[in-house]
Amino acid sequence: MQKHTITAIICLAGALVASAIAGASFLSMRTPDIIVRGPGVTEVKMLSDWFPGIKGTAGDTEVYVMKGADDGESMLVLGGTHPNEPSGHLSAILLIENAIPKTGTLYVIPRANNSGFTVNDPQEGSPQSYTIQTPSGPRWFRYGSRATNPIDQWPDPNVYIHASSGQTLSGSETRNLNRGYPGRPDGTLTEKVCYGIVQLIKQQNVTITVDLHEASPEYPVINAIVAHPKAMQLASDTVLGLEMQDIKISLEPSPVNLRGLSHRELGDFTDTLPLLMETANASQGRLRGRTDAALVLTGKDKWYVRAAKLGRLYVPYDEKGHPIEERVGRHVTAIGEILNSWNLENPDKPIEIENLPGYEDLQTKGVGAYLLPIPAK
Amino acid sequence: MFFIYLAILAVVLALTVWVLFDTKKLSLQVTAAMVIVPLLLRLLMIK
Repeated sequence: MQKHTITAIICLAGALVASAIAGASFLSMRTPDIIVRGPGVTEVKMLSDWFPGIKGTAGDTEVYVMKGADDGESMLVLGGTHPNEPSGHLSAILLIENAIPKTGTLYVIPRANNSGFTVNDPQEGSPQSYTIQTPSGPRWFRYGSRATNPIDQWPDPNVYIHASSGQTLSGSETRNLNRGYPGRPDGTLTEKVCYGIVQLIKQQNVTITVDLHEASPEYPVINAIVAHPKAMQLASDTVLGLEMQDIKISLEPSPVNLRGLSHRELGDFTDTLPLLMETANASQGRLRGRTDAALVLTGKDKWYVRAAKLGRLYVPYDEKGHPIEERVGRHVTAIGEILNSWNLENPDKPIEIENLPGYEDLQTKGVGAYLLPIPAK
Repeated sequence: MFFIYLAILAVVLALTVWVLFDTKKLSLQVTAAMVIVPLLLRLLMIK
């Protein structure tokens, strides 16, 4: 056998070993984190129950239904629209494991882009998961990609054309769930998931929809509520309620010309009142240093501290960072305030949900204190 | 479109393996081996 043939065999064997090791790591991302059914959960359905077109696909996702004793209005909370924005996913899980609706119905989708939880964004060095200590032991949660897994929707076009408006965006945005609303039944997987969420809202006549996000500290829309014009009264009342609790938050109108986003299209195409909320997440920012699970949980990053001193950020940033307790606390407390505001304006058709973790309690006890033990198999 | 891209991928992977065994330059063989990894993972729809 010639020398170059021997080296070729060695190189090929090396490639196969590297592929096997990397492949095993990538495949492990398809194991979802565990969500425990809390005392308020009455039923767990799938999004395909509202739109069968996604049944059996990676886009189909769990919908936790939490019905109160009395019928009333309803709220839908979307976590994990962008799986690299962990406070949205965790806040949704905290609702599932703690909230007890008294009047009305709460729908929670903790993995709105289920496919996005099965992959990381390339070249970002993101962790595949992060762990939170709870009284019953550690629990891990998935950190995913901003967009649908390319394995599930490939190839990307050069230019993404938003179907209902004709708006053009970068081709990779075709896998961004929050650019695909109102979706299409015969579109891409991402558009089908958007369509499924719209069908849920229409068929259940959902009163309020809250889409939970995070933003890079250098992004202007941060620590903010973005509201469709018809939800502006509700949002402004919520901001006042949060300010009364000394939680600073800005109110942004949904841009008319930025299409495909939940706060725009859900308001235009359904009767729901759509709101989107943002907290500060360094682990998705462009200015960050080392990216690991600690950054996801603490938000501590010396480069962001430096950027803040240079006046480059839209949130205060110091050595304390922006821990997950603060970010989840903002989301959960804001949801409570949205409900308070709704009930003040609509006392005849309230949505009453009890047992929501409080902001101060989350800061002192931590998120783990509100996560339930995983039942033994 | 998906299957067309997959077929293109299979052809590129086959050509890369062919180069790996055809060339006598070690540096090119190592490069080909590195190129094989992402091509193979996508062909198997893992990454």
